[in-house]
Amino acid sequence: MSWDPQVTSNINSFNVLNSNNVVNLITKGDAEERQILQWLSPLEPQKRHQGVQDERLNGVGNWVLETTEFRKWSDKENGRADPVLFCYGNPGVGKTYLR
Amino acid sequence: MIDKLCDQAEGKDIAVVGFYCDFLAQQEQSTASMLGAILKQLASRDGIPEHIRKAFWKAKKEFGGRLPDLVEILKKVVKPLQRVFMCIDALDECTPKNRRGLLESLREIARVSPNTRIFLTGRPHIDDEIMKCFSKAVRMPVIPTQDDIKSYLEMRLDGDTDPNAMDDELRAEIMKIIPEKVSEM
Repeated sequence: MSWDPQVTSNINSFNVLNSNNVVNLITKGDAEERQILQWLSPLEPQKRHQGVQDERLNGVGNWVLETTEFRKWSDKENGRADPVLFCYGNPGVGKTYLR
Repeated sequence: MIDKLCDQAEGKDIAVVGFYCDFLAQQEQSTASMLGAILKQLASRDGIPEHIRKAFWKAKKEFGGRLPDLVEILKKVVKPLQRVFMCIDALDECTPKNRRGLLESLREIARVSPNTRIFLTGRPHIDDEIMKCFSKAVRMPVIPTQDDIKSYLEMRLDGDTDPNAMDDELRAEIMKIIPEKVSEM
């Protein structure tokens, strides 16, 4: 199985860093590389991510980024912070669309 | 969240990966395939590391092609990075067994690499399971803001396929009552 070209074009949304490398790797990547990635997992979370991006409404869920909890958790300098931030809520409150 | 973290990571030695659990994909979403999906994203950042290639060829030669020790490989891949953000959505949607496997694997990775940051979402009932693995996890309730609800409603009302069925009065009423009701939930 090879990478869906649509997914490939969107891969940089998962990895802005070195996005050119990633895109080149996947599009120009040899069969071996594709085989290895497929071997690591047949799942392709990028597809679902693309769906979320398409459906997401701009600005919705931004409040999370302003919380002390998020800031502490994502702060590079804060080495002692617990690794896990758990956002919980009932179905439909918008957990998937937090940003 | 993934995109926001990606924006912040730009130009730095920071990786952002994500995974969406799905109730309808429970069969395929085993602990191993979920870890593999996370690893796959990390491994394709800068070209597949040599140790992964070797493990692949070794497995190919063996009968049945056993799965690699994904946790060990993940540890190796995560370690040299400044920071790795792993975002896992809807953790309640995978089976309890796979959830436990995933959480324990993540705990092990975070233990050896304190540069790991794990963002989880899910329904409240999995809180106990998360706390078992990460006793100091920070928990935050997700409650949509009034503004978020209003933007969403406006989008849905604007997209109504039969706009004539609604007059301005009804629209105003919907915009007023639904956000109030949601806040009471």
